[in-house]
Amino acid sequence: MKRATLFLAILAATCRTATVPEQAANPYAGQSEAVRAGAKLFRAHCAACHGASAEGIADAPSLKTEKVHERSDAALFSFLTNGDLKRGMPSWSRLPDERRWQIVAFLRSLRS
Amino acid sequence: MLRLSLISNLVLALIAALASAQESPYFVTYDHHMEEPGMLEVAVNPLFGVPKQGNRSIATYLELEYGAKGWWSTALYLDGQSTSRESGGFTGYRLENRFRLLMKEHWINPVFYVEFADVNGADKIAKEIVGFDGWRDLVEPVAESRHEKKREIETKLILSNNTRGWNFAGNLIAERHLNAAPWEFGYALATSRPLALAATASECRLCPENLTLGIELYGGLGEEGQITLSETSHYIAPTLAWSLPNGMTLRLSPGWGLTGNSNRAFVRFGVAYEGRLFR
Repeated sequence: MKRATLFLAILAATCRTATVPEQAANPYAGQSEAVRAGAKLFRAHCAACHGASAEGIADAPSLKTEKVHERSDAALFSFLTNGDLKRGMPSWSRLPDERRWQIVAFLRSLRS
Repeated sequence: MLRLSLISNLVLALIAALASAQESPYFVTYDHHMEEPGMLEVAVNPLFGVPKQGNRSIATYLELEYGAKGWWSTALYLDGQSTSRESGGFTGYRLENRFRLLMKEHWINPVFYVEFADVNGADKIAKEIVGFDGWRDLVEPVAESRHEKKREIETKLILSNNTRGWNFAGNLIAERHLNAAPWEFGYALATSRPLALAATASECRLCPENLTLGIELYGGLGEEGQITLSETSHYIAPTLAWSLPNGMTLRLSPGWGLTGNSNRAFVRFGVAYEGRLFR
């Protein structure tokens, strides 16, 4: 009985996805320090695939396009968290939430 | 041993220029984070073993881990050891594959791990503790133990969670010699957290965001038909990972035995680089 309960608890936990509400705001929005921190994180973790200027390399798309910038901060955060494992984009959930929001702040700065 | 060391140094030197790593501080426990697709991680992980009796030893393994897909990481390990007042040398290899079972991030993220190992009895890397593994395994004379062939299959169910900057991971381990010996079981539990969650705007080396502290607890659970904690060995090991801006990650973990069957201590070190293999 205990084993069955434990199994069901784990099963329930694996069914719960780690998403943020679509209207969640970036706590670092508009902060220049956060944009610079995000740029540093981008160089460390993203530039190898997306290019030093986020222009895209091979299968990794440019992050300067309208398709990226028309998405909400929460959607970008969620995409960084989950990735798209079947299409080669890794999950960056290993980075704390704060650092993923800083990367989102940096991506927003690319629009201008 | 010398040959293994030379190969390790050569590969590290080749990869060093490409590096960009963000490593887990764990040595024994696996979390659900996979190698990024197309990236190769090269790591050297020496282990100093202090048994209750007998000669001390240094075991090391060279790890080559490749991100085949976003959901699949594959790795080759080359093991070696050197025991004081005895001999040293190459002790075998391991092939490992990890498969993420769910394509999205969940509250608990399961990963299936399968490994084939072809090592000899002198192998001392203690990458996991299973069954009734204990301090006597380390003091068996190398001249005898190296003639013992061990072909093993090992599976793990990895469960891992990230919450508010913390990672919590648990592994259930089942290992079996291919010569029809019983399944042996073990576990590994761990948690870790970076000292700072947000990054600073400037490049820094010895700053809290680059340091991750954690703790691991691992040990054996007996074998098929005899699942028990009695006569098994268990260890507790704080861990520290230091990620440098040039992409190198240094790791350190002193571990202490908790039961009469455990080794007195292990001290583990790790140096890792990560770079893109194909564009």
